[in-house]
Amino acid sequence: MSVTEQGLLERDKDTMTLNMGPQHPSTHGVFRMILEMDGEIVRSSEPDIGFLHTGIEKTAEVKRYVHCIPMTDRLDYLSPPQNNLAFCLTVEKLLGLDEMPARADYLRVIMCELGRIGSHLVWLGTHALDIGAMTVFLYAWRERELVLDLNEMISGVRMMTSYIRIGGVAQDATPQWIQGVREFVDIFPAKIDEYESLLTNNPIWMDRTRGIGTLAREDAINWSMSGPILRASGVKLDWRKQRPYSRYDDFTFDIPTQEHGDIYDRYLVRIEEMRQSREIIKQAINQLPDGPYKIQDNKVSLPERDTLHTSMEALIHHFKLVSDGVKVPPGETYVPTEGPRGEVGFYIVSDGSNTPYRMKLRAPSFMAIPGMCHLMTDSFIADVVAIIGSVDIVMGEVDR
Amino acid sequence: MTSEEIVAKCQSSLGGDLVQAEVNLGDAVIYVSPEALPKAAEWLKNDPDLRFDYLSQITGVDYLEQDREPRFEAVYELHSIDHGHSIRIRVGLDEENPTVPTVTTLWKGADFPERELFDMFGFQVTGHPNLKRLLMPEDWEGHPLLKDYPLTIEEISFSHNPDHKSELIKTKSNQE
Repeated sequence: MSVTEQGLLERDKDTMTLNMGPQHPSTHGVFRMILEMDGEIVRSSEPDIGFLHTGIEKTAEVKRYVHCIPMTDRLDYLSPPQNNLAFCLTVEKLLGLDEMPARADYLRVIMCELGRIGSHLVWLGTHALDIGAMTVFLYAWRERELVLDLNEMISGVRMMTSYIRIGGVAQDATPQWIQGVREFVDIFPAKIDEYESLLTNNPIWMDRTRGIGTLAREDAINWSMSGPILRASGVKLDWRKQRPYSRYDDFTFDIPTQEHGDIYDRYLVRIEEMRQSREIIKQAINQLPDGPYKIQDNKVSLPERDTLHTSMEALIHHFKLVSDGVKVPPGETYVPTEGPRGEVGFYIVSDGSNTPYRMKLRAPSFMAIPGMCHLMTDSFIADVVAIIGSVDIVMGEVDR
Repeated sequence: MTSEEIVAKCQSSLGGDLVQAEVNLGDAVIYVSPEALPKAAEWLKNDPDLRFDYLSQITGVDYLEQDREPRFEAVYELHSIDHGHSIRIRVGLDEENPTVPTVTTLWKGADFPERELFDMFGFQVTGHPNLKRLLMPEDWEGHPLLKDYPLTIEEISFSHNPDHKSELIKTKSNQE
């Protein structure tokens, strides 16, 4: 054995500890990993989170229920309507409000699906950028801008919409917004085809994604993965179909699944999800019912603005709701909903007062991180960024 | 299975390990003691009629202000992929020594939530492979989500205004 070979063998036994993050651009936020490297192979990885911890769950315990809604925007900041919806559904379940007006539910569904499209576009752009396909990023951002414009038209805010409220939505949809959504629905399929023409059959993209980061069906379930990751591994679990909320059962749509559970499959699932979301929006905007956009119970939702000048009762309700907030009966519950990253749900304990006694977010990215690090074991360092991108973590909801 | 059927099955099969079982707002909820948790969880996961193979989340609650006995609770949300039903397990934990056995042997996804229980509530999770702080820095004192952990201003390290700083410190010590 030559000296060189001897040296190589000895070096093989040693592993190098490599720090990645928290400021690394491919970790999608402030996520740090300590990688144990054997040459170019990752032998183990230790996640380190908490850099964005703002104590939202603790703060919620001194905030009124309505004040919690803007905080939920900041959890998964790429699809705020989904967090609003999950929070409001849980509070409404505690309040015993089983049914919302049809128009409110449809507006909620449209906003959530627009949020899903916007979130998937951010994922697509940054994921492709991580792997080296820069063009996709620019195209994806172009369409995301349209989603943000629609957000602004209906709620006044581009990102942190706080649009979904307890008992309905914040404002009614304007004809301009409805027209804007119609136009978006019309142009969007061609844009998805455009992204696919850049990636789906691209040999470089396939080389970088096929057979990498493979997660078997049983492992995906055991590691508590959810959403597109679970579906890419062949588990057909989607809470919109499993336990339909907000009249999702009014719409016909498919749940895309794949079998291999690698990065390429997760890509295919999310691309198809964007198509299905567009289908849902199209059906919802075409069948948008007339009627109230929030419930008429003034103990829960604010009375109409113009009634304040004529009705004493409305004025009192308005004053009580603004100064004291809605009181939620004692109890605790959990409602799962399907966000862009998977199962989003709030576990809320109420003690009968106007603030939550305990509010806990079930964040899909938070639950996915241990499994993601499991995927990295024995992969190449170059694939680590691809795996992180394919799991699509948002540190806002991981650290809360 | 409906929530009522799940509760009935738990009542007949778990017997003495079960403290209480109920249907709460449509969800099946069972209460078990920490000692009985590993056995009950294993049965829930492996029973062919139940098959709770998916751990949705774990969280803790501190019932200090409600004067409940026991003070703490660990809450587990389980779901069955095959059957499509869910269950919630509530485990009451003693105030003096909040200890709960790990379920990472059954569901690997319990790793982070159980570390969060330790970080935020100070629960000792026995058998957890890597029980240390998760969100807070490693040298942090106290467990933030406890109800007796104060929600106060952060102590500032320096200020150009001496009055401002002494005032801040005074408010803080008053609250303590």
